[in-house]
Amino acid sequence: MTQDGNVGKTELADAARIRYLTKENAEFAETPGHLLAVKTDGEEHSPVYVHCSFPHTNRRVYLSIRTADNKEIGMIRNLDDFPPETAALLERQMAIRYFTPEITKVVAVKEEFGYSYWEAETTAGLCRFTVRNGGGNVKFAAENRLLITDVDGNRFVIPRLDQLSEKEYRMVEMRL
Amino acid sequence: MIYPEEGRQVCPRCMKKHAIFIRLLSLAGKYKLSLFFIVLFMLLNSATGLVIPYFQGTVLFDQALAGTGTFAGKIGLVILVIIAFRTLSLLFGVMFGIMIAKLAANVAFDLKSSVFTAMQRLSLDFFMRKQTGHLMTRVNNDAHELQYFFVDGMSYFIVNAMNIIGIAAVLLWMDWRLTLICLIPMPLVFWLVRKAFPKLWRLSWRRHRRVSALNSIISDTIRGSRVVKAFGKEQMEIGRFQRANDAFSGAEQNFNKMSGTVFPVLNLLTQTGGILIWAFGGWKVMQGQMSFGAVLTFVNYMYMLYGPIQFMNNIVGWWSYCMAAAQRIFEIQDAVPDVAERPDAVRLPDMKGDIEVNNVTFGYEPNKAILKNVSLRAKPGQMIGVVGHSGAGKSTLVNLISRLYDVTEGEIRIDGVNVKDISMASLRSHIGIVSQDVYVFSGTIAENIAYANPDCTTEDIIHAAKIANAHDFIEKLPDGYDTLVGSGGYNLSGGEKQRLSIARAVLHNPKVLILDEATASLDTETELQIQEALDSLVKGRTTIAIAHRLSTLRNADYLVVMDRGKVVEAGTHDELMERKGAYHDLVRKHDEALKMKEGVIA
Repeated sequence: MTQDGNVGKTELADAARIRYLTKENAEFAETPGHLLAVKTDGEEHSPVYVHCSFPHTNRRVYLSIRTADNKEIGMIRNLDDFPPETAALLERQMAIRYFTPEITKVVAVKEEFGYSYWEAETTAGLCRFTVRNGGGNVKFAAENRLLITDVDGNRFVIPRLDQLSEKEYRMVEMRL
Repeated sequence: MIYPEEGRQVCPRCMKKHAIFIRLLSLAGKYKLSLFFIVLFMLLNSATGLVIPYFQGTVLFDQALAGTGTFAGKIGLVILVIIAFRTLSLLFGVMFGIMIAKLAANVAFDLKSSVFTAMQRLSLDFFMRKQTGHLMTRVNNDAHELQYFFVDGMSYFIVNAMNIIGIAAVLLWMDWRLTLICLIPMPLVFWLVRKAFPKLWRLSWRRHRRVSALNSIISDTIRGSRVVKAFGKEQMEIGRFQRANDAFSGAEQNFNKMSGTVFPVLNLLTQTGGILIWAFGGWKVMQGQMSFGAVLTFVNYMYMLYGPIQFMNNIVGWWSYCMAAAQRIFEIQDAVPDVAERPDAVRLPDMKGDIEVNNVTFGYEPNKAILKNVSLRAKPGQMIGVVGHSGAGKSTLVNLISRLYDVTEGEIRIDGVNVKDISMASLRSHIGIVSQDVYVFSGTIAENIAYANPDCTTEDIIHAAKIANAHDFIEKLPDGYDTLVGSGGYNLSGGEKQRLSIARAVLHNPKVLILDEATASLDTETELQIQEALDSLVKGRTTIAIAHRLSTLRNADYLVVMDRGKVVEAGTHDELMERKGAYHDLVRKHDEALKMKEGVIA
């Protein structure tokens, strides 16, 4: 993508020494416990986890495959470079690691004593959760994308704030 | 004339109030059209308003009720006419209200951005001298106060002046003798204004100074709250704040007391005119020289005159705010950057990185030299290490090379060209600095790394982070490179911030890399990892590295030892060790310290 012959960039890539995993040099598989394993350079690593570099802006590019003790096995430039079944396997793993229900409809938000009580329809069903006011618990993760962290550390996301109805937006706006 | 600050083009005493006023007027040129319409609607508003007292007095009482003239017996019609004019007046009022609201926001916006832009143009020195609180007040409050000048001041002044002239003309036409009577208290009013207002002006300036000092303390304490808590100095800070708060409150009280006395007295004096009219008018009605309706009309007009006259009184107060604010804003706009680019500055599209420092002497303040006769040479691709005690002038030296300040004597040449002749853009694009105080802007981690080069690709950002050894900790964060940092965002540790700033410099990809204690706040192991990555990157680049930890400089081609602003020794590691001078001493102490550390661990 950037190897366009530009000397500065090649230098940068050489100095960084990042190992990129491709469909030719890496083989992903699901372990019997539904975790992820990867075989590359004749070495098998199990389990490994998929870390997104940009979980909010683009989930399909620059994925870092890491072991439990945060050692990087390699990076994937783009999920689309892999066969569909491998991509689907990696996406399943990502969905587990970055489990964040998307709020489709805000039913009610009530505020009392420094906490707000949310009721919302999400991709994981109807959810009721409590959010502590202040401290960046309701914040923009990207433009137009609102990330809400409740008291237990569960994360909810409103993927497109401008898609909310006016009534819903009024309730959410006061919590920003 | 002695200028309070060198390089400040306008000295405060030469900046006459009327000069400021004229300069402000020139700024208003941009809003000519909206101001014209505002004044037009205001005039229509008062013209329609001006008719009402005539209908309420003369027409209603002397014609409709008395049964004479055109409107004899037509009370309903007269009432309708009054209602119609009131409605018209209201409509025009709403119209100019809306236009003013729009203009006010635009003026404030323009002024704020112009002050902010003017500030960005200034050199580092300016920001080092001023307190943050003062500067923040300037951008926010002063711009806000100037908005009054354009919006309330200008338009209301024109309209009220017209009102005064119009009403005075009507009054004179109705009865010139009565009019003169109501002007009796005027000389006293003028005398009071001339006496009291200069003092009010001074008090308002004092109040501004005090509120700025107060803001400085607030911003200081909030930003330094860690230090305050660590030393348990809350009470002392409260005391410090109390004193400033007290001083401000005193100034505020003085100002309010003064204006609280002056304005009611002025009001009373102007209203005495009205009482005089009732007395003389009543006497004339009883004598049959004047009708009751005419006196009522006259008094109604008189009362309409109070608003504009009071406004003229108040405008002096506004005027003083605005002029003081304008003065401060113009001061920033006029300030000449200490480090200015020459008009015929040379652009260097490619820099080799040949740095020559010849007999440089420099001090942040005149006659207090920090660097004395410093010379050094870095050939393209070399790594120069600068060592020395704290306060030896190491950071000052690199500030001069990147031209954050200008040398007092001597010269610095890059590729044989004096840095003063090189355009700022080429200088900044070829020199990268990683300094000991790192700053993280509000935004995502990716944005922070891409700060110097926002158009770079995602891959570049990741590579730079990997080189700076930041990639692993970033990937571990739940939001990865999308994590928001800076005020209100995720709290990075000192070492993490340092690594971000290294990544920033790596991505900037400069020909000359200045590392000012770049790895000082990292542990030895992380430092080693970054050093390895940097080593591969510094190839082909001129690097000037400052370090306390001598191990950081193990790869330096050449070492410069500084002490109290002078270069005391220079040479390679081996040469300097053989000489057994200052460097040898430093290495010995460094080793002793390391041994002590080992002893503690063991």
